[in-house]
Amino acid sequence: MLKFAETIKNAQLRLAMLALFVMMMIIVFDVTMRYAFSSPIHGAYDVVEVSLLVFVFHGLSACFLARQNIVIDLIDNLVPERVTHILVRLSDLITIGILALMIWAMFEPASQAFQYGDKKLELGLKLWILWSVAMAGLAGTLFCAFGALAKPVVTSHGGERM
Amino acid sequence: MSNQWIGACGVLALFVLLFLRVPVWAALMLVGVIGNTIVGGWSSSFAILGTTGFDTGSAYTLSVIPLFILMGDVASSTRLSADLFNAARVLLSGIRGGLSIAAIGAAACFGAVCGSSVATAATMTKIALPEMRKAGYDDGLATGSIAAGGSLGILIPPSIILVIYAAIAEQSVPKLFAAALIPGLVLTGIYIVVALIVAHLKPDYAPTVANVTWKERLDALRQPWQFLLLFIVTIGGIYAGVFSPTEAAAIGAFGAILLGLLGRRLTLSQMIKAIEGTVITSALLFVIIIGATLFAYFIVQTQLPVLLSSFAQSMQLNALTVMMIIVIAYVIIGCFLEGIGMVLITVPVFLPLVVKFGYDPIWFSIIVVIVVELGLIHPPVGMNLFVIQAQAPDVKLTAIYRGIIPFLIAPFLLIALLLIFPELALWLPKKLYG
Repeated sequence: MLKFAETIKNAQLRLAMLALFVMMMIIVFDVTMRYAFSSPIHGAYDVVEVSLLVFVFHGLSACFLARQNIVIDLIDNLVPERVTHILVRLSDLITIGILALMIWAMFEPASQAFQYGDKKLELGLKLWILWSVAMAGLAGTLFCAFGALAKPVVTSHGGERM
Repeated sequence: MSNQWIGACGVLALFVLLFLRVPVWAALMLVGVIGNTIVGGWSSSFAILGTTGFDTGSAYTLSVIPLFILMGDVASSTRLSADLFNAARVLLSGIRGGLSIAAIGAAACFGAVCGSSVATAATMTKIALPEMRKAGYDDGLATGSIAAGGSLGILIPPSIILVIYAAIAEQSVPKLFAAALIPGLVLTGIYIVVALIVAHLKPDYAPTVANVTWKERLDALRQPWQFLLLFIVTIGGIYAGVFSPTEAAAIGAFGAILLGLLGRRLTLSQMIKAIEGTVITSALLFVIIIGATLFAYFIVQTQLPVLLSSFAQSMQLNALTVMMIIVIAYVIIGCFLEGIGMVLITVPVFLPLVVKFGYDPIWFSIIVVIVVELGLIHPPVGMNLFVIQAQAPDVKLTAIYRGIIPFLIAPFLLIALLLIFPELALWLPKKLYG
């Protein structure tokens, strides 16, 4: 499972990196075209929003698999290491629960976007496609959060435990 | 139980969850979802949860965050900070405490293209600390100067914290960047004065470095031209109204990459690493922003700030006292929370109260950033102090603590100045944007 989670994370990370690069380049071209030729790129605004969406939802899996989310670890110095391990595991479960809830909650607005045929203003891109991209990103993140369960817990004590 | 008390319980529950090591984003989201369910019902809460992630993750205005982070990450990989420090070191040679001033000045300049305090402190430690130790500087003064200078990265524009504040407080990013410039320069000045006083009082802490000729000084001025170019194009572009913040960030990131590649200071693998680092840092921030948006919605629904405001009025507190209490609260919270979490959790609660007492939200943004900065450098948990120690493990943490103490006066002095002269923060945005 961990190996498969790593594969998903790598694929999503590359996609997010590409999205960031596209986001940067489209803005640079748009600004250049606007100031040099008075001809801004049509749809640049939408491309930035779409790239950001891909970037955010597919960039999360790397953080979740590596448990890189920001935590306040003051308690590590106050309780035995075993308790810290239990708390980390509980946080893993809370993370999985919230991610699953988020995906579930996104089904309704996504299906509404499909039903009503909502589109991006400039590119005319169907919004349900973007909802699907975001949900796929979160699904990969959820899988990586499950993958984190298979990884040992490393605390600020320096201890490592499965 | 009234909605306002539900809000207060929500804030308490949030702190309990954070203390129990629940990740910041998850704690914010959990309290936000449960709180919204209690106040507005499950269907409403579920609908908000479904749309918040998508709306936040595709908001054009927030694209500025990864692009500025990328600019900073690339700048960190391209020895830009080394150029800045070397130029300042040569210019200030012959002055007692000159290397401390050089470290603070270079950190302030580097912060102007980096936007992250921790990254600035880490980079400057690598560059400035060996030089200062070689020159016989006291470890405390050397690390104190670097930690203090590093903290300027989040005040001097572009500042990621200000972008996040703008998103949560519905303020204009260019106005906030304009408001931060003068306080950032004033704080740099105060840090430099503190370093000079320490060097004057304890001459053995800062031996004088041999003087150089004026020709060498002039030559040194040419070194950081890449920094000047990036700063003028990005921040100058925003102030002049040529670029939006997002455009400036993209141009800045692209410019940093181009300068690095053309000058052979950046390899392709370093560039890929910088992009990867940016993805991870930004994703961490975005998931917190999504959680904070849900939490802020809950706080707005409960009208908790109204409860705080009525309490302050019933105690007959004046505006200054309320601000002092808020600053003290921030200093205490800064002992436990990291900067961005602190801003996202506290701004929805404090901002309506502050506005009710007649303070300007743009002015308040600068106060918030200063107290976050303070949180980065005050013992025992200042992040910059740990970053420096991680980069220089042979320097004792107690020496770092001792060294930072004189510098802690500077943020408080700046807050006092901003209370007496609010125009320090408000003049430039008014001048530029009316």
